[in-house]
Amino acid sequence: MMGENTSGSFIKSKNRHGWLFVSLALILLGVFLFYPIVYSLYLSTTSSRGIVQKFVGFSNYARLFQDSMFILALKNTLIFFLIQVPIMLFLALILATILNDKTIKFRGFFRTAFFLPAVTSLIAYTILFKMMFSLDGFINGVLLNVHIIKSPIPWLLDPFWAKVTLIIALTWRWTGYNMIFYLSALQNISEEIYEAAKIDGADKVKQFFYITIPLLKPLILFTAIMSTIGTLQLFDEPMNLSQGGVTSATIGPGNSLLTLSVYVYNLCFKYMPNFGYAATVSYAIVLIVALLSIIQFKVMGDKK
Amino acid sequence: MKKHYSINRILVYVFLASMFIVSVFPFYWMVAGMTNTAVEVIKGKMTFGNQTLSNITTLFTTYNMVRILLNSLKITVFTVLGTLIVSSMAAYGFQTYASPAREKAYSIIILFMMVPFIALMIPLFRLIVKMHLLNTHIGLVLTSISSVFIIFFFRQSFKAFPYEIIQAARVDGAGEFRIFFSIFIPSMKSTYAAAAIYSFMSSWNAYLWPLIILQTDKQKTVTLMISSMSSAYFPEYGVIMTAIVIATLPIIIVFFGFQKYFVQGMLGSSLKQ
Amino acid sequence: MLKRKFIILVVVCLFLIASSITYAESAEKSGTITIWSWDPNFNIPIMKEAAERYTKDNPKVTFEIVDLAKADVEQKLHINLASGVTGGLPDIALIEDYNAQKYLQSYPGSFADLTNKIKYSDFANYKASLMTLEGKVYGVPFDSGVSGLFYRTDYIEKAGYKSEDLNNITWDKFIEIGKTVKEKTGKSMIGFDLNDGGIMRIMMQSAGKWYFDDKGNVNLLNNDALKEAVKIYKAFADSGIIKQTNGWSEWVAAFNNGDVATVVTGVWIIGSVKADKASAGKWKVAATPRLNIDGAVNASNLGGSSWYVLENSKNRDLAIDFLNKIYAGDIDFYQKILTDRGAVGTYIPAQSSAVYSSEDAFFSGQKVYTDFSGWIKAIPAINYGVYTYEADAAIFSVMPEVYSGKISIEDALKKAEEQLKNQIKK
Repeated sequence: MMGENTSGSFIKSKNRHGWLFVSLALILLGVFLFYPIVYSLYLSTTSSRGIVQKFVGFSNYARLFQDSMFILALKNTLIFFLIQVPIMLFLALILATILNDKTIKFRGFFRTAFFLPAVTSLIAYTILFKMMFSLDGFINGVLLNVHIIKSPIPWLLDPFWAKVTLIIALTWRWTGYNMIFYLSALQNISEEIYEAAKIDGADKVKQFFYITIPLLKPLILFTAIMSTIGTLQLFDEPMNLSQGGVTSATIGPGNSLLTLSVYVYNLCFKYMPNFGYAATVSYAIVLIVALLSIIQFKVMGDKK
Repeated sequence: MKKHYSINRILVYVFLASMFIVSVFPFYWMVAGMTNTAVEVIKGKMTFGNQTLSNITTLFTTYNMVRILLNSLKITVFTVLGTLIVSSMAAYGFQTYASPAREKAYSIIILFMMVPFIALMIPLFRLIVKMHLLNTHIGLVLTSISSVFIIFFFRQSFKAFPYEIIQAARVDGAGEFRIFFSIFIPSMKSTYAAAAIYSFMSSWNAYLWPLIILQTDKQKTVTLMISSMSSAYFPEYGVIMTAIVIATLPIIIVFFGFQKYFVQGMLGSSLKQ
Repeated sequence: MLKRKFIILVVVCLFLIASSITYAESAEKSGTITIWSWDPNFNIPIMKEAAERYTKDNPKVTFEIVDLAKADVEQKLHINLASGVTGGLPDIALIEDYNAQKYLQSYPGSFADLTNKIKYSDFANYKASLMTLEGKVYGVPFDSGVSGLFYRTDYIEKAGYKSEDLNNITWDKFIEIGKTVKEKTGKSMIGFDLNDGGIMRIMMQSAGKWYFDDKGNVNLLNNDALKEAVKIYKAFADSGIIKQTNGWSEWVAAFNNGDVATVVTGVWIIGSVKADKASAGKWKVAATPRLNIDGAVNASNLGGSSWYVLENSKNRDLAIDFLNKIYAGDIDFYQKILTDRGAVGTYIPAQSSAVYSSEDAFFSGQKVYTDFSGWIKAIPAINYGVYTYEADAAIFSVMPEVYSGKISIEDALKKAEEQLKNQIKK
């Protein structure tokens, strides 16, 4: 396959080295990832109240369909996925395209600034956002002052607006992060393609849709799948944006920010602990991620 | 025609400027909060105050800040080093010595990325206790250095490496490990820098797992400290903001220091999808 | 004669002293007690104070007091207990009263039985019942969440009311006063989080009710106290007299900013109320409003927590001795934490001490702690059961629809009851 040396001993030594190089990682992953996965699969066939545990087979999986809290969490998570991910990726693409234009000044400066949100810890930035989006917080103050709104928006008080706030927060935190991926890929696309398009009379908008997007397709697919995994595992943000009341048990008003991962957390730590059922919900998440990834592969038509 | 063009230009700059404000404003808010009292922060005061010194003093006297920062630093440095070595070796192994069996192993570990961490907490915790690694930084580092995402990232970048160089080195009689350590790694610096920044950020900001594995105040990290501060009956927001600023600074420094490589490194990984 | 007696006395004394010294030496306690707790401004320094007092008599005992977020303490306890390994557990953990039964029932045998080790009759009655399971009592009662109606005298007077007008009122009356306050002063009556169940819990407990009946069965639909509480929540949402807040900091800001005339919550808020020094002398405290139904009283509770000793702890007996000596015996300690932190314990002997009856200038010279101590005794004892948070989540999932008028209170409770029953089926 590669090169002139195909004698048996070389192949053997090659194979041995191959295993040697991957062995450290495989051992660590086997112990700290594979074993827990198998164990939690077993857990998903049990139902428990703390340490009082019993085997229930697949009935946990059947229970999912009747669990209105699970269905609500699923609905919320899918809304975030369907709305936030496209907005964020599209915005990241636009920013990357603009910053790839060599005639724009201060490109490095803007690039750094846009990436900056991605360095903050999830806890820190949600604490900040919660304050800024309070009823008489900074955001409402500005909007009132410039007369965009007449009365303050109940950002985190109303089920609809709470979702909007979370989407804004997620977009703030992750757009620059995705932009960097696109930007680095764009630098690979030769100027000539754009020059040729310009001569053919394609304006910037046309170039964006007919050149940039198709060329970046594999990378868009990659970021889309990473974001899918991220959204389905969305945890810190809804948790921190909503928590704070002494006693509040809902995640966001009317549980509007309850995501699947937060539900798993609640099943383990907030409610009467049922680790078996929590594991079941976790595997439902895995299935959904797999399903969504397959759909994305199909839609983007990537033949890998 | 010319005028139309420049209006567009201005719009682009206005867009960039507004995105800039949106991106950077929370950082300003954070620094302003550091200079104000808790009540002022809650009241949404935007200007700078004169509480900085008192906030810093409170932070360093109430909490064992130096120790906590050193803990975070130690854990992060070892995690980053470990991740770079273990994950890049694995990626190199998968990429350079392709074999059907290893390809299968690779596909499986990529699938592992989809399992939410929260599902694994209980079994992982049992394991850590049985291995007597509870409340140790080693336990935390060991469980964090084999990152599937970083392996994936490395492998994508390595696809661009010219294989002929390795072949040539072999012909010259260099051993496989020497090729990797003294020829391959030096020529992939920016990929390593990008992975280092990524791994630094995720280790420094890690919350859920450190919370579970670290048991005492002596072992605590900065992120854990901020979390416990913000859940008090009466949270001292000025001090919390100070802590957030101090916790964010190292990442910003690392990012600025390696920024050039970071972008280049990302470039490498996106070459081949 | 006298001299001889004296000599005998001296000898006996010497002997006693000597023996007590040797006794003390042989029984000198040692070890490190690890404690998990939350709140660096409240529980943590209080525990440090307790530790300091104990080490004075037992210099060989050291303490490791771990400061965690409240949710983190709960999560760590769960994960340690559930994994069935004991190596990572502390000797003592702080557990919120609402959660006590959940831990006791989920992890049988994990907590030390203190039935005959602590004198529970010295503590407020309602506290001990929360930590009793199958006749055994676990845990050492700590702070009280006894509730009160904190109010700004200046706003109330401006609206034409006197302090007496706020005493022993119903929530309906509270809303009525609120409307006048809003009208006359422009200030909101109360900072209120419509998505938080805190006040709802205060309301229900004042009527001796909960989300569950005595046997632990779900009791939402036919629960008159809950129905009334939801009605009042809806009235709050409609009346325009509340300042809506989200989460802790906004709520604290509402009264620190002087935006609201009252605060109804647990006594532990005192520290935060006093943090706004500008409003000193303008505050007072009245009894908690009650629901307008039979059996409701003007006393209730919100929050509060207790210390629990882990059964498999290496220092179990030492930890019990520590809690017993300080938390169930040291009156001076309770006075100190009251003056330093505004912490109201549930240890009754401490409540007759001088500090409890001192006048507080911040509260216009009112003897607030005397009042709170009185209310503690009137709090109806109820069984929170194990599903309080599930019930809370079920109710507050439907509340937005109640506020918007989309569904009736009756239908909302029905929906919540179905959801809750389904949730806790297994």
